[in-house]
Amino acid sequence: MNQDKIDRRKAILGLGLTGMGMAFGELLRVSLNESDKWTKYPSSKKQQYAMLINLDLCIGCNSCTIACKQENHTPPGVQYNIVLKKREGTYPQCKERYLPRPCMHCEKPPCVKVCPVGATKKRKDGIVDIDYNKCIGCRYCLTACPYGARAYDFGENYYTPPNSFEKARSYEYGNEWVREKGKSPINNVRKCHFCLHRIKKGLEPACVQSCMAQARTFADINQVGNAITTNIANENFWRLKDELGTFPSVLYVGKF
Amino acid sequence: MTDNHKACPHLSRRDFLKSSAFLGSTSFLATTLAGAERSYANAVKSEDGTYPLIQPENILYSACLQCTVACSIKVKLIDGVAVKIDGNPYSTMTLAKNIPYATKPHDAVTIDGKLCPKGQAGIQHAYDPYRLRRVLKRKGPRGSNEWEVIPFDQAITEVVEGGKLFSHIGEDTDIPGLKDIIILKDATVAKAMKDDVDKIRKKEMTVAEFKEKHKNNLHYLIDPNHPDKGPKNNQFLYQVGRIHNGRKEFTQRWVKDSMGSVNWIEKTTLCGQTSNKSWTFSTMGYTSGKWGGGGHKSPRPDHWNNEFLLVFGTIIFEAAYGPVQQSEPITEGINSGRLKIAVVDPRMTKVASKAWKWLPVKPGTDGAFALAMIRWMLENDRYDKKYLANATKAAANADGELGYSNATYLVKIVDGDRAEKHLRASEIGIGTEEQFVVMQNGQPVAVTPEDKVDAIEGELFADTEIEGIKVKSPLQIIKEEAFSKTLEQWSEVTGIEVKDIIEVTKEFTSYGRKAGVEFYRGPIKHTNGWYNAHALIILNFLVGNPDWKGGTSKPGGGWNYMGANAGQPYDFKKLHPNKVNNFGIPITREGWNYEESTLFEGYPAKRPWYPFSGNVAQETWASANDEYPYGIKAALISSHTPMYSIPGGQAQLKTLLDPKKVPLLISCDIIVGDTSQYSDYIFPDITYLERWATPGAGHHDRVKNSQIRQPVIEPLTETVEVFGEKMPASLEALMMAIAEKLNSSGFGKDAFGQGMDLVRMEDYYLKNVANVTFDKGLNMPEDVQDDEMKLFRESRRHLTPAIFDEEKWKKALKPEEWKKVVYALNRGGRFESHEETYDGETIKKRLGGMSRLYLEEVATTRHAVSGKYFYGYPIYQTVLDSMGKEVNDKREFKLITFKEVWGTQSRTISNYWSQVSIMPENGVLMNSIDAQKLGIKNGDMVQIQSASNPEGIHLLDLGKSRPVIGKAKVVEGIRPGVVGISTHFGHWGYGSNDIVVDGAIIKGEAKRGAGVHPNPLFRLDDNLRGTTLSEPIGGSASFYDTEVTIIPL
Repeated sequence: MNQDKIDRRKAILGLGLTGMGMAFGELLRVSLNESDKWTKYPSSKKQQYAMLINLDLCIGCNSCTIACKQENHTPPGVQYNIVLKKREGTYPQCKERYLPRPCMHCEKPPCVKVCPVGATKKRKDGIVDIDYNKCIGCRYCLTACPYGARAYDFGENYYTPPNSFEKARSYEYGNEWVREKGKSPINNVRKCHFCLHRIKKGLEPACVQSCMAQARTFADINQVGNAITTNIANENFWRLKDELGTFPSVLYVGKF
Repeated sequence: MTDNHKACPHLSRRDFLKSSAFLGSTSFLATTLAGAERSYANAVKSEDGTYPLIQPENILYSACLQCTVACSIKVKLIDGVAVKIDGNPYSTMTLAKNIPYATKPHDAVTIDGKLCPKGQAGIQHAYDPYRLRRVLKRKGPRGSNEWEVIPFDQAITEVVEGGKLFSHIGEDTDIPGLKDIIILKDATVAKAMKDDVDKIRKKEMTVAEFKEKHKNNLHYLIDPNHPDKGPKNNQFLYQVGRIHNGRKEFTQRWVKDSMGSVNWIEKTTLCGQTSNKSWTFSTMGYTSGKWGGGGHKSPRPDHWNNEFLLVFGTIIFEAAYGPVQQSEPITEGINSGRLKIAVVDPRMTKVASKAWKWLPVKPGTDGAFALAMIRWMLENDRYDKKYLANATKAAANADGELGYSNATYLVKIVDGDRAEKHLRASEIGIGTEEQFVVMQNGQPVAVTPEDKVDAIEGELFADTEIEGIKVKSPLQIIKEEAFSKTLEQWSEVTGIEVKDIIEVTKEFTSYGRKAGVEFYRGPIKHTNGWYNAHALIILNFLVGNPDWKGGTSKPGGGWNYMGANAGQPYDFKKLHPNKVNNFGIPITREGWNYEESTLFEGYPAKRPWYPFSGNVAQETWASANDEYPYGIKAALISSHTPMYSIPGGQAQLKTLLDPKKVPLLISCDIIVGDTSQYSDYIFPDITYLERWATPGAGHHDRVKNSQIRQPVIEPLTETVEVFGEKMPASLEALMMAIAEKLNSSGFGKDAFGQGMDLVRMEDYYLKNVANVTFDKGLNMPEDVQDDEMKLFRESRRHLTPAIFDEEKWKKALKPEEWKKVVYALNRGGRFESHEETYDGETIKKRLGGMSRLYLEEVATTRHAVSGKYFYGYPIYQTVLDSMGKEVNDKREFKLITFKEVWGTQSRTISNYWSQVSIMPENGVLMNSIDAQKLGIKNGDMVQIQSASNPEGIHLLDLGKSRPVIGKAKVVEGIRPGVVGISTHFGHWGYGSNDIVVDGAIIKGEAKRGAGVHPNPLFRLDDNLRGTTLSEPIGGSASFYDTEVTIIPL
């Protein structure tokens, strides 16, 4: 038991997520056996992008993690996606389980209401975004997010001086960004945006596309016949920390 | 909050900045990217300025090399810089349902294949700031890590001419140059001597006759009294690590046909060699009285239709041969309920986590487990008798079977109970000496395996005497071995309960042909690995699964890149005028029987011989040290790091550091690596994103894939001039420059023949591509239209003429080939559609022949050291050294190694996104039961010791060492009594250490040295002066037979 905790903490440490004021145990307290069916989802929007992650398929390889890093040029300490690992049971009846955690894109996002400048908002398509040009880097939202999905870009790089691919242009939100001191996204809060810039081009988020086990499904769940509701019609899904009433748009099936 | 602070306690940020600034000014390392500014200016702005990664001119297709699988990749560039790597959608390797080959690249931009995390992180491999740009020459003793930068041309002159190369640092030794070693350059003389050495080998000529006939040329030989040691050229050793088709042949052309040395040695015995060899021998056909041909090295289960998969020690989702190809069909199968998996492995791998059953077997008892299964299968009548009984092709055809077996071909029993050769029909007067004999209705019948007329079925269990000759059928022999222990006794050996053995075997035999056994490295990296492999292969044969949908079949392979097929434009065999025939015994004594050499003087031989293997990597340095069969004078190492990779590598370090044993040591490396740091000279090489090759399909592809690895980024190394052509410093440039200096054949003007030069890399590699393009079969490339030709140019606009010059590329080919070759280049290769996988209930690409349960050529060969005969069938054997003595160190733990999915042995520590960020260091994996016993808590530091390394010390150079210490990782998922250490951490070179260049210190990064490397611990063979224990038939170095003691600190 103790062992699991230490290992999990280490996994998190490696991803540079400590020190964000996030209670670690809480993140893992998931709502298993959630009885909500999709029909009870409170969204009345026309559009709601969502992601289904099948943990029975996930092999914990972190392809998604690296695809995301490349796609969004995130520096050390900024991880839009992480994969949690859990060990359970005792020898020889033991297993490892994995849980990828992107931003939950909550229907009721606690991060949005604490932003003093309105830089982060719930878009009409269901994505919670950050306007880098408005964000003042106060980091209230970091503390507000119960999932540890947000991180602050301190302007660090993997290499000193920054490597050529770190200096290359990137395209979050469909805009062009170059990591330079004093310019966004440095000194902004950053998080997963379901690769909005790719969605705009009709592509799936990078983590979905790169998954070797095809564990992720991405769709607008309010669209009739979409891949998510079709896939989980007869299954129970669950959401992380559902009891908080945040109504995440990231759904899980399978056991963690 | 960088990820390195924890792992990097000694290096402050300022220190690093300082050294980086220094690097910039000397520019011997690649901190600044050549060509980046220029290409930025040339960049094409995207239509709406938002997502240029889907513009075709920002995409190039190539092949990965972050592990050996060589997945097809799609590299996306911004301003000439690679920023993202995905899978290539044209290839089934990375997109199971690949797009039609005819799709225009313009239309493929939004479709990506998948790729594993380390493949994606390849960008950090290529743009590593520690990359070497210029040649380094040591400025202190070997291993001192003091260097000076010297011009490429000067370096070439020095290694070719030799002399007192290090007199300026007080070393007075006269070092032989390559010109003094490569002395036999006369093709005619070489050919004549080679032919006669072949005669000596066949005992058709005596040494005295040879000496008389070649009396004017004996000075070319290492030892005229042993002409089979070959010419002095053999004292040049080229040792290479992971190398793929195309580059393999380029370097062989240089080493074997131009330098005339037999010693081109790859690293494959450190890898899956025994698996490959065992499969090859077990699937070989018999034609014209000889076994050979038709063998396949990597048959694998068809995961898309498998219903029961029994995995032995291969980490399918993490390493093995292709997580990218294997993960999806397996997880899909588990999820849909189609597939049930059991995993036999001492460690609970990720695939074991998903399995129905995890069987934590004792390391090295996989064969015993298989024999227990075989016993139960035979006792309970659960095996495919029909498949096994078919002795001829005709019999198989009559039953609608796809293959047949030698399960019934009688074997002679000699010396009491030793199974020897198959009985031949001529021996009992019922047929020829090329025919075998089976029993049918109690009578012997002559059999020709390929016989398409006589449908002969043999008796499965025969134990009889014919005309005074004692004979048994192979299945009978295997049965006796399986029945040599009760299930309870097998359970004792394997550590797996009888009920579990039975349950798994019952499952394995409940799905007909849709059950399969898969293994790779786990069961074979043991001294008994060959027999483990053969036993596991036979399990597949016993359920008759070869070539059936859901069963086992061969990979789809690729088109012939060497032009051996009719209609192909460049048959390389014919494209080397004045080729020097290499000959003689390789330094590793591979491919030769001890008994056929002139060195035979009874048993034990001084060192082992490997007649069934090749590329026996663990033998090179130890043999050089023993000067058996001869010493070496110069060595070139590339893409290989023996001190990191060869088990117990440090035992060979003194050889590497000794100028008497290795007078000239040259490396060609992308970095100052864990081994290249001990060299006299390090030449910079280019990475897989900057170079060429033509790798084939992976083990798990069922359709034909020929990939093209091609330059996708501007090389980071300096530009040099060879044969009057500018090119990036690289292994190719080094070899061509030496050839130019030595004026040796095969390179330069008219190298391929009149009017066909080899003066640039692509002169060679584009001919490989043309061969792939024009080989017969499906999806032959067509002429590109203007839009694709335009795209071809635009997508290479960031490459300078040294690497891409359209006119020069065109010149490598005939004009009519160009447009078709561009078609293949634009798609990263030539690929069949996934629709070509099946034909009804069978797999199209078939093994299609003999399943061999008995290997007579193995049974009639002796271990050169112990003098004992090998076995032609699977047996259970404990850990043995080369004298056949049991190794039992009575230490508490068995050591096993493994890899995480983001790590590949020696070359992924530069991948900060993946290896370093996800898992900054590895540890010593141990079960909580053991930890409790030793009073060890998770995270405690432990020192590890072994019989071959009782102090637990890692020797780094003659005056420097460090203890083998790691962090205990206490888990449930490993068998008690076993400890596991992953093998991609614990570097002492590769940018982890400080080095001195031209008097200034280049700081290493401590995070690259984090974790523990088990290499110094591996058990050495007591009889072989510093060589690891080895599996003697396939030649594998043992990785999992070491016993260790764990000392809490």
